Amino acid sequence: MLIGIDVGGTTTDAVLIRNGKVCSTAKVSTEPGNLMNSLLEALDAISRDVDPEQLERVVFSTTVITNLIAEGKTDRVALVLIPGPGINPASYTYPDSFFLKGAMDYRGREIHPLDEAEIRKTVGLIRESGFSRAAIINKFGQRNPFHELRIEEIFREIYPECKLELGHKVSGKLNFPRRIATAMLTSATRGHYIEFVEKIKKSLEERNIRAPVYILKADGGTLPVEKSIEFPVETIFSGPAASTIGALALTPEGQTSVVVDIGGTTTDLALILSGKPLMASKGAKLGGFLTHVRAFAVRSIAVGGDSVVRVKDSDTGTKQITIGPYRAGPAYCMGGKETTPTDALKFLGLIEVGNPESAGEAIKAMASALGKSETETASLIVDKVAQRIADAVNEMFFEWEQEPAYRVWEVLQEKEARPENVVGIGGGAKGLIAEIAKKLDAKPVIPEYAEVGNAIGAAVARPTLTLNLHIDTEQKVYSVAEEGEIVSLNTTNFGNFNKIRLDEAEAMAAELLRERAENFGISEYADEAEVVNSEVFNVVNGWYTTGRLFDVNMQIPAGLIPEWKRRENV
Amino acid sequence: MKLGLGRLRDVLKTGSGSGEGEKKQVEGKNKAEKEEMQTINEENKPEISERNEGNTMELRKAGLESKKEPLSPADRTGADKTGLIFFPAFDWAISPTHPEREERLLYTRDQIFEEGLMDLPEIAEYKPRLAEYRDIARVHFCVPDIKAQATTPHLIAAGSCLVLGDALMKAEVKNAFALIRPPGHHAMTVAHGNRGFCNINNEAILVEYLRKKYGIRRIAIVDTDVHHGDGTQEIFYNDPDVLFISFHQDGRTLYPGTGFINELGGPKALGRTINIPLPPGTPDEGILYVLDTLVLPILKDFKPELVLNSAGQDNHYTDPLANMRFSAQGYAKLNEKLAPDMAVLEGGYAIQSALPYVNTGIILAMAGLDYSCVREPDFKPGMFVQAARDRKTLEEVVAAQLENWKNRDRLVESEVAKHGDFYRRKKQIFYDTDMIQEFQEETIRMCPDCQGYKTIDSHAHRSGDDTRIFGVSIPIYACKNCQAEAREEYRKSLNHPEYEYVYLQDKKEDEYRAYNTRTKQEIAY
Repeated sequence: MLIGIDVGGTTTDAVLIRNGKVCSTAKVSTEPGNLMNSLLEALDAISRDVDPEQLERVVFSTTVITNLIAEGKTDRVALVLIPGPGINPASYTYPDSFFLKGAMDYRGREIHPLDEAEIRKTVGLIRESGFSRAAIINKFGQRNPFHELRIEEIFREIYPECKLELGHKVSGKLNFPRRIATAMLTSATRGHYIEFVEKIKKSLEERNIRAPVYILKADGGTLPVEKSIEFPVETIFSGPAASTIGALALTPEGQTSVVVDIGGTTTDLALILSGKPLMASKGAKLGGFLTHVRAFAVRSIAVGGDSVVRVKDSDTGTKQITIGPYRAGPAYCMGGKETTPTDALKFLGLIEVGNPESAGEAIKAMASALGKSETETASLIVDKVAQRIADAVNEMFFEWEQEPAYRVWEVLQEKEARPENVVGIGGGAKGLIAEIAKKLDAKPVIPEYAEVGNAIGAAVARPTLTLNLHIDTEQKVYSVAEEGEIVSLNTTNFGNFNKIRLDEAEAMAAELLRERAENFGISEYADEAEVVNSEVFNVVNGWYTTGRLFDVNMQIPAGLIPEWKRRENV
Repeated sequence: MKLGLGRLRDVLKTGSGSGEGEKKQVEGKNKAEKEEMQTINEENKPEISERNEGNTMELRKAGLESKKEPLSPADRTGADKTGLIFFPAFDWAISPTHPEREERLLYTRDQIFEEGLMDLPEIAEYKPRLAEYRDIARVHFCVPDIKAQATTPHLIAAGSCLVLGDALMKAEVKNAFALIRPPGHHAMTVAHGNRGFCNINNEAILVEYLRKKYGIRRIAIVDTDVHHGDGTQEIFYNDPDVLFISFHQDGRTLYPGTGFINELGGPKALGRTINIPLPPGTPDEGILYVLDTLVLPILKDFKPELVLNSAGQDNHYTDPLANMRFSAQGYAKLNEKLAPDMAVLEGGYAIQSALPYVNTGIILAMAGLDYSCVREPDFKPGMFVQAARDRKTLEEVVAAQLENWKNRDRLVESEVAKHGDFYRRKKQIFYDTDMIQEFQEETIRMCPDCQGYKTIDSHAHRSGDDTRIFGVSIPIYACKNCQAEAREEYRKSLNHPEYEYVYLQDKKEDEYRAYNTRTKQEIAY
């Protein structure tokens, strides 16, 4: 049996799945101050009558990191930065930064040495200033971590208690500012996150649950909870990821869908293209900082079921309806004070819940202000909301089509997709899905258990893993961005480094990914790995080729666990 | 990517996610290669102007489109972003060890991505597209046809310039940088092959596209590549509305061996071509001196609607193909002072020691950001000093060219008086990459009402293969008489068997034709 729990901002949803079927569901209110309570309450609600021995897998998605950052409850981190030439580091807006001399270039060659005396002075200063955590980030540190490692050594020597984060271990991708932010947030949240994980483990022990426990990441993949301590910030935005995986699980395989989760104040959108959730081309933004955290391409728009509807005079003197962006409590037909899209839906008979008389009153007030009939007014409100959401969907598709291309074949590859389905996930404003689908010329789909689609997504998401291999045959080294080690090519089986072929580099990446998957305890998914991009460049000095640079990017993409997939075949 | 408001509006308006313009691009390659072919035999001679009026198909193709009023450039005072297309063509090379090869911009990519430049709110990154064949035909006579000269990477490099040109004209961005390859500034009107790593001229294609689409007229192109921008010079040599300024290492010491101060433009455009040969070894100081004392004052005087920087990066002190001493700081300062509306990458082959730093500097400078910390690993301020003798040479060049600029109208007047109805000149052009020797006779109609149409009789020799072509070019702002006369010239030339191909480039009508005298087939682009 599988358990999936999504701790959202308003509610915590849980499901119990047996043999690919949803056995029970639960929805409890989230206590903002105590996520752990909400999580356990939901867990107990669905596992009450179940023998803990029968549980095979428990997956949580939680906003714990997002909340820590939003509430400013993170730890202070001293940022030790080695920027080298480029943008003036004075333009960075990171707090508590200490800049050091030294520089690496894009090939990982040292262009300026470190100044040991300066480092010692800075470490002393960090200690005196009371920082117990520091993050050391070097521009191009992922191409050669020597400077970061040397500074780490000096810390160990004169301030051994300080907890350290090294940029090259946090992300191997190009983008120094994002690496700074990711390292900073990782360091700032890890302490609290470890406490959270400890509590979860303890609570599960108390309940005799010994099934493996996973945490959902922003890229829709699961990570064993012990392992997640290394990457706390990857657990952000797992709510939208859970909904998207849920939609993937509840719609036919291989289709293109828009996932629409209409809440009270906002509507969250995500895309599934030919059965694959669309990843954002760059990392997520967190606490005002751009990071390297992989996440789905999700969009949140400020219109929801409870958005306030007003009639206003336009510039041309005609009366117009405005919707949102605020919420002033529940809809009028649910006991609130303001007219909302929910009232319009109720008036038109598109939803079950709510008091029909109050909905009528709410619409009547709008209609008289607008000078239109009540049905016209209600239809206009619904139409306007659906249009806003449909526009945002089109914009997402357009942005995807317009993503930069750096190769000839990428420009020639004509990205064009339109949604086949509009999938409503979550409890809100179901009546709107059909209207949005009409505008997008797609099929409206409201799956069974849509209101706990997010929890289903958590329960059936499979692990994800990335591996970025960089080989420089001129310098005779290779590195795996995620591992942060620079390894001599002499340790490999390659004979003549200059004869390495791209397919051999890809095979090497696949093998390294297999090892990494084993290390993560997810080796059974290694076969799902795919090459995202691989390229090779000659290094030419004068008119002679003196080496080659390989880059192979592989991933186990987001998807569903086999237990769930098998169910479809039954 | 970040979307400009204009494009977002397009999306919302159509509701389909792609505006009309974009929709065409989605059709991609097919659309780019749009051409029509028809066979013309003796009885069925093309009567172009009449057929245009009679044939609705043709009307749709050439007539209606060109008669549509051009759009107006939007007011850019509110725009605050720098548009950027980074198209490194990682899968294209002239040959594996050629300087123009796959990894030319690899380290530049590493540097600008590691700096996080694409994340800056001041930068809007755009996606490249393919230029259409007619965009190429608006500038070039491609021999034998466009497909042979403009391969897909060339179409994307040119198309990238057009994307940014549109963004600029719609005021989505305040300025733009096309960080693209392959380059183009050595490509001339007639394209028999590749010369100086160039097949088609990106800047010229952009200029004619913007003129056609947005009705602008006066444009200044400042070529800052170390090599003389002979292709761009040739294309606009007789166009008084295009000011072409090139500074480059002295042609006596470097390819293509031209760009001397006496090359001032055709009779009716004298003084609109300004060349500044620089002594080898000229550092930042010398180039910035030329900029301050000559380029900027002339630009101010000319009042162009648009300033383009044909931005080569091979003046750098580490460039393997040239001998100058310009630095990344110098390049950044140059772009800050010149403040071009758009920069288009040309050459620059110190791919490790210069390009990552030069490009970072240019992007920051164009975006109005602090570039003071951008420097090459081995750079030390003051490491290059201008020799006194070179300084004197530059002062003389500047003085001479200021004089030419001041007297340009008089120069035109006296030169025009020397010629009758036509001005002819003979030229020899060498294609270093493809080893072609071309002989040309160019004829300009000395029209009292416009700049006059141009014909080119071109004879290319390559080992075991000779080709002779004839091309007729009608400027976009030509008078009706010139247009009619030129079209007649085209029609008459179709019967001349000494030409293998005959071309018509009617920019006024936006109509482009290529006729194969052997197969008697005419292609309309």
